[in-house]
Amino acid sequence: MAKTVDQYLDDLRGTRVWRSIFRSGTGSSTLKRALAIQQNVFLHLFSTKVRTRMLSFSATWYLGTLTLGTFLILVATGIPLMFYYHPSVPQAYADTKDLQFVVSSGLFLRNLHRWSAHAMVFLVFAHMFKVFYRGAYRTPREFNWVIGVILLLMTLLLSYTGYLLPWDQLAYWAITVGSNIASAVPVMGEKIHFLLLGGNAVNANALLRFYVLHCMILPLTAMFFVAIHFWRIRKDGGLYSHDSEPATVRANAAAAAANAKEGQ
Amino acid sequence: MADSKDFTAGIDSNAKKSPRRIVFITRRTSAQVKAETEDQLQTFPEVLFRAAVAVMTLAVVLVWIALIFNAPLEGLADPSHTPNPAKAPWYFLGLQEMLHYFPPVVAGVLVPGLVVMALIVIPYFKVNIEADGLFLKDRQKRLRIFYVVASLLSLFLLLFKVYAALVPTLIMAGVMLVAAQSSPQSPSAFRRYLAGRPLSYWVMTWFLFELVVLTAIGTFFRGPGWSFVWPWQG
Amino acid sequence: MADEIKKTDDVNRRQFFLKLGLGSLGIAAAGTAAFAYQYLDPNVLYEPSPVVNAGKPDRYPLGSVTIDVNSGIYIIHSDEGYFSLSAVCTHLGCMTAWKPELNMIACPCHGSKFNEDGKKIEGPAPKPLPWKRIWLNDDGDLLVDRSTDVPPLVPDSYVRV
Repeated sequence: MAKTVDQYLDDLRGTRVWRSIFRSGTGSSTLKRALAIQQNVFLHLFSTKVRTRMLSFSATWYLGTLTLGTFLILVATGIPLMFYYHPSVPQAYADTKDLQFVVSSGLFLRNLHRWSAHAMVFLVFAHMFKVFYRGAYRTPREFNWVIGVILLLMTLLLSYTGYLLPWDQLAYWAITVGSNIASAVPVMGEKIHFLLLGGNAVNANALLRFYVLHCMILPLTAMFFVAIHFWRIRKDGGLYSHDSEPATVRANAAAAAANAKEGQ
Repeated sequence: MADSKDFTAGIDSNAKKSPRRIVFITRRTSAQVKAETEDQLQTFPEVLFRAAVAVMTLAVVLVWIALIFNAPLEGLADPSHTPNPAKAPWYFLGLQEMLHYFPPVVAGVLVPGLVVMALIVIPYFKVNIEADGLFLKDRQKRLRIFYVVASLLSLFLLLFKVYAALVPTLIMAGVMLVAAQSSPQSPSAFRRYLAGRPLSYWVMTWFLFELVVLTAIGTFFRGPGWSFVWPWQG
Repeated sequence: MADEIKKTDDVNRRQFFLKLGLGSLGIAAAGTAAFAYQYLDPNVLYEPSPVVNAGKPDRYPLGSVTIDVNSGIYIIHSDEGYFSLSAVCTHLGCMTAWKPELNMIACPCHGSKFNEDGKKIEGPAPKPLPWKRIWLNDDGDLLVDRSTDVPPLVPDSYVRV
């Protein structure tokens, strides 16, 4: 009797090799679904069960998830772009033009990278305002809000350092203006300006420093804080909802009981 | 039951042995369990699939935009030739608009620094946690403070001719006056809503309003030499 | 009633959508892989041209073996005419040298030795030194194409002036 494809797949899943890699396997039982989260190194940042109110779209518009999504798109497009980009002057500009005209899919990758960057800055601001207007910064979530502000600054810095890399007129003068603002800091301004650029003007040293910041230092720092941010959400009890906070639930229950007693 | 212990506990000082966990349960206490009253769902598939759909939708939109619109690229960087106007990326244009009115120390260092610090300390102020309507308590005293602050701010902006920031400030002050005249018993739902808004809401909304207006002006209404132009003249 | 009519190889709705979804993701993944490969394979190289201009033939007297270390070739003027050998040792890529006192081409790295026709005399080199295509251009200069091999010792591999 010939075996169907499904039967072959089941045989494959029963082999020792398969079971040594995928220990829990798929399935629709509660146990299997919990194991899929708990036994996965990437996913076990989540808890295996969440409160229903965490899924509410109207509460958050999923802005935090979308911000993370743009970040992942930026990493996925940014790393391939690094294969054709030399962070030297004036090679950087020639490489950007090469990416647009000569490299297969280069124009698409550059465009996607640029528009995702703008989207991420917009989404991170929107996320901040939505969290604020929900009041989701209240105890015990204060520190997560501070981490969020740090991530906002990381996003702006990432966008700013990336802006210089094409080495065109737009990039050069935007960064010149911005770094001159940094020199307006009292007392340390000139030193900050000098250290930021690796010199007195926006030149080859500045490009290399911004490249290292943009591709290595800032993404790693951002990922570090993103991990803490997600972990804090879980440990603080999931999504915030004023009506669902235990104190409010108890108060409402007590008030309802008191009303019921008066009514009798 | 008497408070005195009717047992003695000894300590084993052999550090190499595995520690034993011992629970002392007295008669007065029992294990406490926090009863969870809310419904729960499994992370996989509920959360993960919703997140995947959201991110995939975002990816489709961004890919579509990337296929249609090209990222800008101007000529090679030329330190000897400054383009006119030299504009920062759009999210910094609000800042650049303020640089038009104030010196760099104020617009570039002081204001952003104060804004960041103000954002960070929001959750640590009790008034933001309680979040009661601003004018529902101590109404007269708070109204007086409001008049002083609003007038000083408007005067300051007028003095420096920062009309771009003055107009939103005046609009917000007007809305806050409406809120001051409202209460939870007001006839219209909008005025009831305004009455319940706390101080943090007013400050943040004013900030958001200013951010949008200043960025919009910097983007669309500024031309060569940072002069005022209409968007269609650009 | 409906269950009796259903045949055993019918696909139910869940399986259909599962197959549709996984199939689409599979196609998307395959497409992404194809485009990624195309992206990583450069269309334009910024490397020097393989064609080398060796100058006028009278720079190379009869019986001479001249090496150009920058382009990695020998220009040899023998009785049959001018021909060109690759100077890169076929063992592991070191630059060989002409030893006139020994009348052979020797590689300093692992001791491979070749005669004037590129044939290997001794050493770990697996193949003889390849002959490269040589011709005269309109100005009368000798040109060598390092990317094209020609068969050794046949008349067409020489340039006669």
